Amino acid sequence: MGYELRAHTADIAVEATASTRGGLFAALADGLAAAMCESTPAGGDRFAIDCRAESLEALCYEYLDQLIYERDVRLVLPVDNEAHVTDADDEWTLTASARGVPLSEVDAREVKAVTYSEMVVDRRGDEWYGYVVFDV
Amino acid sequence: MTTTREFQGITLERIRDHVWEIPQSGEMRVPARVLASEALLEDIGEDKTLQQLKNATQLPGMTKYALCMPDGHQGYGFPVGGVGAIDAEEGCISPGAVGFDINCGVRMLRTNLTYEDLQGNEEELVDTLFENVPSGLGGGGVVETDIETVEEILERGLDWAIEQGYATEADRLHCEDEGRRPDANADYVSEKAKNRGKNQVGSLGSGNHFLEVQRVTDIYKDDVAEAFGLAADQIVVLIHCGSRGLGHQVCSDYVRRIEQRHGDLLESLPDKDLAAAPARSKLAAEYYGAMGAAINFAWVNRQLITHQTRKVFERVFGRDWEALGMELLYDVAHNIAKKEPHEVDGETRDLYVHRKGATRAFPAGRQEVPRAYRDVGQPVIIPGSMGAGSYVLRGGAESMQETFGSTAHGAGRTMSRTQAKEDYWGETVQDELQDQRQIYVKAQSGATIAEEAPGVYKDVDEVVRVSEALGIGDAVARTFPVCNIKG
Repeated sequence: MGYELRAHTADIAVEATASTRGGLFAALADGLAAAMCESTPAGGDRFAIDCRAESLEALCYEYLDQLIYERDVRLVLPVDNEAHVTDADDEWTLTASARGVPLSEVDAREVKAVTYSEMVVDRRGDEWYGYVVFDV
Repeated sequence: MTTTREFQGITLERIRDHVWEIPQSGEMRVPARVLASEALLEDIGEDKTLQQLKNATQLPGMTKYALCMPDGHQGYGFPVGGVGAIDAEEGCISPGAVGFDINCGVRMLRTNLTYEDLQGNEEELVDTLFENVPSGLGGGGVVETDIETVEEILERGLDWAIEQGYATEADRLHCEDEGRRPDANADYVSEKAKNRGKNQVGSLGSGNHFLEVQRVTDIYKDDVAEAFGLAADQIVVLIHCGSRGLGHQVCSDYVRRIEQRHGDLLESLPDKDLAAAPARSKLAAEYYGAMGAAINFAWVNRQLITHQTRKVFERVFGRDWEALGMELLYDVAHNIAKKEPHEVDGETRDLYVHRKGATRAFPAGRQEVPRAYRDVGQPVIIPGSMGAGSYVLRGGAESMQETFGSTAHGAGRTMSRTQAKEDYWGETVQDELQDQRQIYVKAQSGATIAEEAPGVYKDVDEVVRVSEALGIGDAVARTFPVCNIKG
């Protein structure tokens, strides 16, 4: 359970597993933070994120895209992510939160965007598995 | 002589020196071509570049062939170093074939300083540039703006920068498209994108973006170098960055909108990151307008960094930037799609030429080339790694026929960022560059230097050699780093 950073020629990938869909999304988000910064200090306020999409993959894309957006406008690195995913009426919904560490307090490098390239969000046996490539 | 090569089940046939073709088969609409020496082909064949190139041939309207330049490598959806010319009436336009960093590009500034003039000032110069050119994550921009100003930048590009005193008329005349895309439309750029852009106007970002002070080490074509204003031992400045978060958001937004509105086309494609809007559709027009606006934003971004660089040189060398001869040589995009007229089978057709990690390389005589260079060909700037040389080329005579007027954009990576951090230690790379090669590097973190170590890039000399052999870009001058700042 958790995430690993995986090699990609020019960019970077995150592979994650969790027992729930929400746990998987949070682990992928933590991987995104790790791709930008090796270690983060305590502190920073939590903020909420809500997303909706027509599929689980699309929801994953929307969520990670929203985290990158929040990073640029709040000027914080979103860490310690928590997420809850539900589905109803052909729509997937995510309710999430993150702790925003001010960028001024970390040495972080930029991830430009989430991509669909090789994206996997899938149930494998008794756990949820995800793989996402980020453009650096 | 080898006539075929196979990588991961994909067979390439050798057409002639440096030209390899994946023949049309299955779902491919046209063949694919890789322009590479045998050595470069070995690198290109190692990852998923060839599969991505093959996938790209399935985009509707792809004309003649999908191309991979000599510095090509795996991207997402469409390979980096990819060129795809797609019919602008019956085909499509694909944000993934442009890239997230719309108008990521390079510009070169000349100076009238020589390397001797600069020696002894390297540390002060690299420190002052680092202090004055915003870089890294959350480093802000040269100016803090609001949504209204961002919209002006999106619509007017360099004309805005001239009006605000950040650019000159000469800057405008030496920029691709004179720094303003005619089809730009800020209304098609989302509020999210504008919000991301408003505190990043005039910033390098991080990753492979940099500002580098270089010295000209070699001149290969005296007459063209003279037209470009380049001479041996001259100091020049190279700036490499793009449209920052604003451009990234434009791409992300349109990938999703296309997925939602043109799912039928997407389902026929082998990779979601090839998401494309059919030509003549409302969404294609909106993306083209938004992309044009992001292109304008990137030109202004590089212009504001130019402004800061000129101020830094004034401070360090005690003369006005005009007296230091700090004129713009050229600014060229390498993540872009533009509607261009091209001759195909004896007929002139409008094509959306997608260049993702590829540079326009128009030869002498084309009206799109700035008047100052129209007799010699468009300048093409190909950066190498921070430990190797960079090149200035001119668009080659064969480029229109062979590559829809395109060539390579850099050295191209061969090693992942995760592997680079295992193989290199940033501070060691920094010390070695300074002690052994007199290259002064300053970055926001050691990890950035490790990820961008010279050893993670292909041999830029070989990339340029292939470009020259094919006649798509001719080497004019070579430069070598003196100072480098990174985010």
